[in-house]
Parts: sequence; structure tokens; C-alpha cells
Amino acid sequence: MKEISVRVNGRVRKRLIKDNELLLDFLRDRLEVRSVKAACWRGECGLCTVKLGDSLVKSCLVLAVEADGQDLTTVEGISPEGELAPIQRAFVEHGAAQCGFCTPAWVLTTHELLQKNPHPSQAELIDATSGLICRCGTYNQIREAVADVSGTKTNRRVKGALTRA
Amino acid sequence: MSFGSPFVTLPDFTYHRPQTVEQVLELLKEHGDEAKVMGGGVGLIAFMKERLMSPTHVIDLKDVKGLKRVSRVPGGGLNVGAAVTLADLLDGGDLVSGFAVLREAISRIADPMIRGRATLVGNLCEAIPWVDTPPALIALDASVEIVGPDGKRSVPVSSFIRGPVDVDLGPNEIVSAVSIPDAKGASAFEKFTGGSEFSVASVAVSLSGEGRSKKARVVYGAVNSTPIRSGEVEEIISQGLTPANARKAAEVASQTVECLDDVLASSVYRKHLVKVITSKVLRRMIER
Repeated sequence: MKEISVRVNGRVRKRLIKDNELLLDFLRDRLEVRSVKAACWRGECGLCTVKLGDSLVKSCLVLAVEADGQDLTTVEGISPEGELAPIQRAFVEHGAAQCGFCTPAWVLTTHELLQKNPHPSQAELIDATSGLICRCGTYNQIREAVADVSGTKTNRRVKGALTRA
Repeated sequence: MSFGSPFVTLPDFTYHRPQTVEQVLELLKEHGDEAKVMGGGVGLIAFMKERLMSPTHVIDLKDVKGLKRVSRVPGGGLNVGAAVTLADLLDGGDLVSGFAVLREAISRIADPMIRGRATLVGNLCEAIPWVDTPPALIALDASVEIVGPDGKRSVPVSSFIRGPVDVDLGPNEIVSAVSIPDAKGASAFEKFTGGSEFSVASVAVSLSGEGRSKKARVVYGAVNSTPIRSGEVEEIISQGLTPANARKAAEVASQTVECLDDVLASSVYRKHLVKVITSKVLRRMIER
């Protein structure tokens, strides 16, 4: 066991961990951050996505020990307590969550995209979110929510949005 | 909450984060077969979950000095360190702009989160038949630079990959970088995935030289157990990149490129795909 220190959403958290522990399990089991979902455990669905340092990672493919000394952001960290980020408000308004299981990952990922690129094209949005799966299929609503925040227009007649050609 | 399933937990190991190549070699000397080197970890962590690998020591390259570097080498080539991720290369802008076949291959691999972790060298060392960067690197005539207890050696990517998940690398050696010679001519990449993450057939094309000394390298990936070059197709397009030659090359490719049957596709289907992607990639190069 060794102690690691990770600044999660601005707050330094220290825990004893084993070398073979996944960042995903560290977040869910040791820190009880349950917005980070464990679903496929193999880097396919993207629901365990968090921001580590400056980049988004799938926490099921990262060792907890690698996060030592780093900044980590989950969906709770993108807006001040009690407030909604613009993309969160847009998700609500456009009904972009159905069962809600994948929503934290989508909100975090689209929020990050909009921070780096306030007016993403359709292709850029598809690429940025190509690592996420929504089993309910709210892709069109998510696309509308992102378009709403970025001020771009969406074409409702385009089918198969957010799926790769 | 792992429910004790082997697919979600990792075997017990000691994690090492060395700072220099010498320290990596020292660790390998000490732990040998018990150790695995980790670049991004995308492949290694997946393999460990399924217990296809159970190292007792994991050696992370992320902090090793000099391995996180992409540099131009004299003569215009590119040297990519072992800890350089696929995203680093895509974000490299000008650095990789002259290597279209590599840029195109990387830009369609998995997703941005995976590309932010997976390394180019890791792609090569795994030698998984359906990964897209090895055919692109073979088309560019790249070599791997290997460091071990006996010093350094350099091996062309085409012979480094000996078979599926089998590379020319000793247990105490690491690949420190991939070296790509200057690509003066046009190049392009095309693949068919059938909607999954993985290629069912891919093709990487690179042209160099002018007029009669024109040379082509054409490599097919995901159709056989290792990437394979097609001398037949190379000969046709060396004679000029014209619509007629593109049609002929596509036809010849589907007749001559050896394709395997597996769970993803039959060899007959792969031969058809080879024809389609050859035609697509060459047409795109003509239109540019």
C-alpha cells in the first residue's frame, strides 16, 4: 500500500492504495465519487471518463497511482455548488438524459469540448464524443444541447447524429 | 466494486516509475520476464484484466527523460519517442503534416480519450493485426530503435513485427523510439471497420521519387496476421497514378493480396474490401 494525493475538484484527497488499483475503483470505492460510472471496464463505453491534468481519460484504463499529485475533475467540478454550467442547463432543456446513467460522462466531455472549442462543427462534436456510448440513444438531444450552447444551428432531419460514418 | 471478476481487476504487481532509460534497463535486468513495460497502458491494462498477462512488476515509461519527445531528424525525418501518445502526434501540427498516411491512420483510431493515452510505440509492440499505425509506418519505411543491455540496434518495422502479438524484442530490451524517414511524396490511408473500432481491412500508400524513379510502398493491414506489402500493386502505381492504373491496381489487389478468414470477416469478403479501399485511397490521392 502507498499513499497518494489527488486534488479532486479542487480538494486534496489522500488515500492509501494498492499499486494494481484502477483510477476508476479509487474514485468510486475510496472517494465515493459515484458520478464516475463503472460499466464496461474495458475502455469502450467512456462512462468512467474524468479529466486528469489537462486531458480527458477513461479511468478504467488508468492506474490510480498515476494520478498521484495531479488535478482531477469530475462532473461535480465543472460548475460552482448549487449552479448549473450552460451545458448542464441545456441537457435539461433538451431532454438529453433518459435513464441518466451516462449523463455525467457526456456532460463532462461536451463541457470540456466547449471550453476548448466554443463553436464545434458537427464533425468535431462527433470525434470528441466518439468514445462515449448512450444505451438509451439520446444522441440527437445531446447534439441539440451542444448546438444550443455553442449558438450553432442543428438540422433535425439529419439522422444518425453522433454516430460515425 | 469489482465483484471479483477477472475482467475488471488487475493482478498484483509493483509499480515502477523510472526517470531514465538506464533505470528502465536496470529494472528489466532485475525482474526480466516478470516485468512488463507500460507506455500508455491501454493495451497492457486490458491484457492484465483478462489475465493474458500477469506481470509482477509494471515499469511505466511516462516520466523517462527523452522518451516524450517528437523531433525532426537531419534530412527531414521524424523521431517519435516511446512515451509519445497518438494525440501528441495529431496535435503536433506541422511536425506530422508531411506524413499524411500516419496522420490519417491516427485520426481515425478509437477516440480522443484513448488517443490521449495510447502511444505509437505501444501500438507497434503489441503487434495486433487490426491496429492501423503499423501499416502506415511500414508504408513510410520506418524503423524502431531498440535499447538493451548490449547497446542500441535499429530494425525496420516490417521485420520488427514477426507475427500477431510477436515482435523482435528481447525480454531485457525496450523500443525507445520510432524513426520515420522523410516522406517527400504523397501518401494516404484508408480503412473499413464495419462500424466497430477495429479495421477489417486497411491500406497505407506512400509514393516517393519522380518520373521513372518513382517508387511506391503499398501495405495492407488487418487482412492477414501481419501487415503485408503488395509488390503487384506497387508496380502498377509506380508507373503513374492515373484513374486507369487505380482501377487496375484495385482489381489486381483483390486477386493477389492474401486474406484470412476470421470471426470478423471471410477471406472472400476481405478480398472485396481490399478492392474497394484500394480504389478509394488511390482515387483520393489522384484528386488531391
